[in-house]
Amino acid sequence: MAAKNEQHDIIDCDVHPVLTDFNELIPYLDESIQQYMNIGKFSKGALDKQNSGSFRFPASNYANPLPVPLRADAFTPAGGLPGSDPQFLAKDLFDRLGTKYGILNIGHGTMSAFHNVEVAAKYTSAVNDWLYEKWVKSDTRYRMTMEVTPLDPELAVKEIERIGKRPEIVGINMHCVNIPLGKRHYWPIYEIAEAYNLPIMLHPDTEGTGEYAAQFGVGPASTYMEWHTSLGLIGQRNVISLVCDGVFERFPNLRVNFLEYGFSWVAAVMWRMDKNWKALRHEVPWVKRLPSEYIRSNIRFGTQPIEEPNRPKDLVELIQMIQAEDLLLFCSDYPHWDGDELDRAFLHFPEDLKRKIYYENPLRSFRFGEAGERS
Amino acid sequence: MSSKIKHRLVVSPSSDLQEGQRLLIEVNGSEIGIIRAEGKCYAFRNACPHQGVQMIYGSVTGTMLPSDPHQYVYGQHNEIIRCPLHGWEFNLQTGKAVFSPSVSMIKYDVQEEDGSIVLYLDKSPERVVRKSFHCVL
Repeated sequence: MAAKNEQHDIIDCDVHPVLTDFNELIPYLDESIQQYMNIGKFSKGALDKQNSGSFRFPASNYANPLPVPLRADAFTPAGGLPGSDPQFLAKDLFDRLGTKYGILNIGHGTMSAFHNVEVAAKYTSAVNDWLYEKWVKSDTRYRMTMEVTPLDPELAVKEIERIGKRPEIVGINMHCVNIPLGKRHYWPIYEIAEAYNLPIMLHPDTEGTGEYAAQFGVGPASTYMEWHTSLGLIGQRNVISLVCDGVFERFPNLRVNFLEYGFSWVAAVMWRMDKNWKALRHEVPWVKRLPSEYIRSNIRFGTQPIEEPNRPKDLVELIQMIQAEDLLLFCSDYPHWDGDELDRAFLHFPEDLKRKIYYENPLRSFRFGEAGERS
Repeated sequence: MSSKIKHRLVVSPSSDLQEGQRLLIEVNGSEIGIIRAEGKCYAFRNACPHQGVQMIYGSVTGTMLPSDPHQYVYGQHNEIIRCPLHGWEFNLQTGKAVFSPSVSMIKYDVQEEDGSIVLYLDKSPERVVRKSFHCVL
């Protein structure tokens, strides 16, 4: 178990609270959605087991094959699921590492690609309220990203207007559907995100699951391992889309944080996009700088799952090679199975780079100042 | 303006270079392309600064000007030559790449004087060879 970090302030950009039972959402859902979801007094009992007999939450199509798909050292003393108890999580993670702030990102994003957008939007609002009431209020170190419904920008904007100025909300967890991030479809969301000084955050969940899910280019993954390894492709595709569709010319202060999509591929994307831009610039004349410059100024990447070359220092060299020192955000991904331990994952990183990744970059990229103002 | 002495080289009669036509000569081992676009003559080293491909085969075009997202604004008609391989755009007047002023193709001073195409070169043109090429543009 990692020793407490004494040297650096820490902002953990990816901490996952677990909803153990959808009935937890009942106080935040009106009866129409309770009825639709068949929860609480609308449970269908035995009919739950019938094929299409009752509502089925769009759980991921890719089941983690591990015996315990969460870190097995993080069950609560009472036997609760890892990530299900706010007090225990704060003690087990924040006290242990000396974390100053931990950003909660809810992990039920598969609802974002669900076919009934009205239901998805109300579910999303309920989850935001549950997260705020149960988790954020329980410990001053908790911050959260708020979810929105990416398929319906109008509803997404309304949700941001409803709660987006709460100071504990530090970003917008948008989720990835089958519309590339650069498309004007999203621009109303980007407009209010920029105005509220909230970064867009993208985290895997719904890829490959749900009727509006993003796919993996050449077709479905066969296994969870294939799915998980292919997530970087989604990250690449969306980075390319954001830059080529001119999002950062239209919204120069917008930040977009990609968590858990990897980052070593950023080098290849920068190099290829810069090369292509020199030849094909006239097709995207609104891209006025080298594409890599937009990435460096507006896009950030979570460190977890840390990539592990045979020579660990090669990763540091890669970061230096593409001047990515300011682009990386520390993420533990607690309590998921593929999380990173702070004292081991960054063993070969120089101290000044650790300081940036652990604290300075997250502080600048998420909203840690006043709502609606640049921090 | 450079204070260096320039060496005058009469390349050909102006009539050899009609609108849209090209000439290729080799001077002291370096190839120089000359083209006429919109009435004006331009001369340049016959090698793209990127990977050395012969610029004499480049398309003379206009381009899309920097614009707001999703707006196309055409301009600089026939003021641009594109590398025939990767399509890098160079301003015919300045030689500079459209994507960066720090990247240029090498330009030469070319004039029309008394019905002749004349180059002004930094070095004395000891060996001059008119070269053939086949450009369908």
